Amino acid sequence: MDDQQRWRLELQDSDADVRATAAENLCLAGSDSVAAAVDLVMACDDVEDVQNWAAAALEDLGVPAVDSVNSLEPLVSSSAPLVGYWAATLLGRLGASASCSQEILGKAVSESPHLSVQERAAWALGKIGATEVSVVESLKKAAASSSPRLASLATRALA
Amino acid sequence: MSNRNSKYGRKRRSFKMFWLIIAVLTGGGVSGLLNPDWPIVGPLVTSVKTQAIEYKNQNPLGLGSSDVSGGQANPGAYAGTPAQSVSALGPNDKILIATFNIQVFGESKLRKPDAMAVIVEVIRKFDVIAIQEVRAKADDILPRLIAELNADGSRYDFIIGPRLGRSVSKEQYAFVYDTNRIELDSASVGTIGDPGDLLHRAPFIARFRPRTTDPDRAFTFWLVDTHTDPDDVPEEVDALAQVFQVMQTARPDEDDVILLGDLNASEKQLGDIKKIPGIRWVVGGGVMTNTRQNKAYDNIIFCTPATQEFTGRWNVLNFEEEFNLSREEALRVSDHFPVWAEFDVWESPDSVH
Repeated sequence: MDDQQRWRLELQDSDADVRATAAENLCLAGSDSVAAAVDLVMACDDVEDVQNWAAAALEDLGVPAVDSVNSLEPLVSSSAPLVGYWAATLLGRLGASASCSQEILGKAVSESPHLSVQERAAWALGKIGATEVSVVESLKKAAASSSPRLASLATRALA
Repeated sequence: MSNRNSKYGRKRRSFKMFWLIIAVLTGGGVSGLLNPDWPIVGPLVTSVKTQAIEYKNQNPLGLGSSDVSGGQANPGAYAGTPAQSVSALGPNDKILIATFNIQVFGESKLRKPDAMAVIVEVIRKFDVIAIQEVRAKADDILPRLIAELNADGSRYDFIIGPRLGRSVSKEQYAFVYDTNRIELDSASVGTIGDPGDLLHRAPFIARFRPRTTDPDRAFTFWLVDTHTDPDDVPEEVDALAQVFQVMQTARPDEDDVILLGDLNASEKQLGDIKKIPGIRWVVGGGVMTNTRQNKAYDNIIFCTPATQEFTGRWNVLNFEEEFNLSREEALRVSDHFPVWAEFDVWESPDSVH
């Protein structure tokens, strides 16, 4: 078992310190941790230390593997806003490679209870491209949002 | 140029007028413009007032593209050669201003004595340092850093901004400064207003000056501490260009604006910042600022027609080499190296307002 595999397993450990150290190690490994992208997104629903290192790792991770799309999609609607935020972000980084995630992201734009997830989903659709009718409708509604950022991201995604 | 017409002469007169206005405003209990209740004060600062400086979405100054292109063309990255070592400091009439992203600076880093020893030694090399990525729910992170810094008799102090970020994972900016050498203008501290929500973490601003025998002649300057969202760099860099220009006119008595931090952008990605007349940045020409030495994300940016106090000395402090660390040990400190630049302590009489 290599370090990356061990750290990914340790993210599931019952000891929060072990999980935090694992998240930190994955963060310090930078883009070498790209295979741990989904694990790190899920670790964003954890105690503060784990969450902080997981979020920092995800910032520097770059574009995840295309085969992570199926695992990321259900996380967009997680009840933990940071999980939904990062799942949408990683799908957006995949650009056209995540075009199959349009509907899930469109639903997040219109239905997520978390503004940060709505905004990130709109941002992701701007990177992926919105072609589905229902997604375009969601973006049109969001473009009229009172949140200036959501409105601007939705408008950009529609352009 | 005579003192009457010099930059510091103008600053002195307008400074008095400014304080007169502030005295009137705060005496009347104004809200909105000033918010004296913001809890961002370090242990040695007794009162901090927030100056709300807002810029408007898209085009705060009413500048059109023709106005921008009509300005002085960007001269490119500062052409000076990086100084060899930050430890080879100049004479006492110079100050070192730095920026340092201390990756995920919170409880877990404070518990690592080896990493903290490096962080403390790094900060002690500078007079004022803009910090990014304080990430903690606890409020004692900076006080504990300051306690370690001052354990050798130093007199560092800090100011820290609010927790910022669109997700639930927030960050704070901070300024740490050596009170033996630097004074904070405690009435000029705040976070940039961002009504259009263009910036993931709106910059934290504060005004400083070197502690000198003649304060009226001292170099005063805004520091604008920033950390962009790596997923929104082009948009945020363009927004920072607006912030910079707003700060240039935020006070009639201050034309020295120093934007510094983790821009997640190299000199080639500075977007609208490059269109600001007279703009210069120190890091360029292939110099890297991250610990892995493959990105140039951190920089110090200012306008040379105004900020002639820049001496031309700057560098990236490679603490991996400086403290003979392994790459892994260095990464435990941070994934960024500090960037610093040197400035005169005296206001340049030839600066253009």
